[in-house]
Amino acid sequence: MEDVQVVAMLVRRCVAGDAAAWEEIVQTYNRRIYNICYRFAGSADDAEDLAQEVFIKMYRTLATYDSSKGAFVTWVTTITRNLLVDHFRKTKQDRITDSLDAASSAHEDAQPLSEQIQDQSAPPDARVRSREVGETVHAALAKLSPELREAVILRDLQDFDYREIATVLKVPEGTVKSRINRGRAELARLLQRTYRQVM
Amino acid sequence: MPDHTSNGMQCHEFDGLVSDALDGALSGSRLEGFQAHARTCSVCGPLFAEVTAGRNWLKDLTEVEPPVSLVINILASTTGVDTQRLRANVSPSLSMSQQPRVSFRPSWWERAQAWASGAMQPIWGTVRQPRFAMSFGMAFFSLSVALSVLGVKPADLRSVSLRPAAIRHTYYNTQARVVRYYENIRFVYEVESRVRELKRNVTPAEPAPAKKEHKNDTTQQPEQKQDRNYSQNENHLILACAPLGPSVFDPLNQDPLNPDLPVVSVTTYRRFV
Ligand SMILES: [Zn+2]
Repeated sequence: MEDVQVVAMLVRRCVAGDAAAWEEIVQTYNRRIYNICYRFAGSADDAEDLAQEVFIKMYRTLATYDSSKGAFVTWVTTITRNLLVDHFRKTKQDRITDSLDAASSAHEDAQPLSEQIQDQSAPPDARVRSREVGETVHAALAKLSPELREAVILRDLQDFDYREIATVLKVPEGTVKSRINRGRAELARLLQRTYRQVM
Repeated sequence: MPDHTSNGMQCHEFDGLVSDALDGALSGSRLEGFQAHARTCSVCGPLFAEVTAGRNWLKDLTEVEPPVSLVINILASTTGVDTQRLRANVSPSLSMSQQPRVSFRPSWWERAQAWASGAMQPIWGTVRQPRFAMSFGMAFFSLSVALSVLGVKPADLRSVSLRPAAIRHTYYNTQARVVRYYENIRFVYEVESRVRELKRNVTPAEPAPAKKEHKNDTTQQPEQKQDRNYSQNENHLILACAPLGPSVFDPLNQDPLNPDLPVVSVTTYRRFV
């Protein structure tokens, strides 16, 4: 994911006060961090504020990064995740997981949802349709409990491996896998219900 | 999860392999056992389908573009790097269409405005609160009333001199005006009290029936009286004292040393306010 030597050097330069090195770090990671924040917090405004906060915190604590303890991206993502937890606690969003009542209807359709969706009358413009689907999935993601949401975001949207996710979330790999599977299943149930209502 | 064996694999074992199966990390007999369990187990089969569907939905979610201002704001809030250079060559990672075409060069006026708005932000934030505006309005109103009572005109302020001698002069002037105002009011009070006294001396027999009426009222409607006393105490006092003589008056409200003063002062006060 990253050249450990290059990043370590970049961080050293940055700690020494090299503004260009810091700018390079910001340019390299802002997209990833913004996307994690956006998918977790749900709104673009919150994501921008949170991403900025992440970089401010990163800038202040850059000297504490130890390349021998793990990849820089894992360190950065851990900072991001901790701030997202704080943000979640602050805003006290009530997430309705709906998992229990959704489970009763889960057995009826073993067919994958992606196939069910194909049957629907598609809007004329494929790009419009794909954007609408994206918005629906994004909204469903916001309904997952934060533990499941962060796990699927890191795995399915950010392509972290299970070991990295375990480091960021500070839980065993087995727990990470279990949360990812539960998150995916719950998301499918939520979307299944949404699209059934549409039909 | 009910843990039973189907096709030589237990449900909890199957659960642990779901991620690997989706990642394509299973092969050989393990993959066969996994697939067979998924086909035959009524719990794991549908669950695996849901997990697969959920992952497919998520794979469809594309990355979003961060706003162009993000990098600029981050650098401004960390290193405080000159923003106009960054505005000119925003982010090499962003697509060309999102970069501003024109190099953004704020004028000295814009920079001054930005600085002023930044510096005034906390003050302006407070001032814009309705509670503050209300208090400020009230304070301004009181001040203007006080000034107009003291005879200060806004036009006078233009010619105000801040030399120590002039300030001293203004101070004594204002003091004299206040004293004069006070004397005038006192004079009015005294004239009124004399007139009242004169009136009382001319018509001494009047108050008696009024007193009776008053008494009747209170005995017939004690609750109403009580209500009025609590909620409209001052009005009641004025109504009672204005047309009536000292014999009617409640002795508790009267100063034994100067029987006239409380009555007069209350009525005049009401008139002046
Ligand atoms: Zn099973």
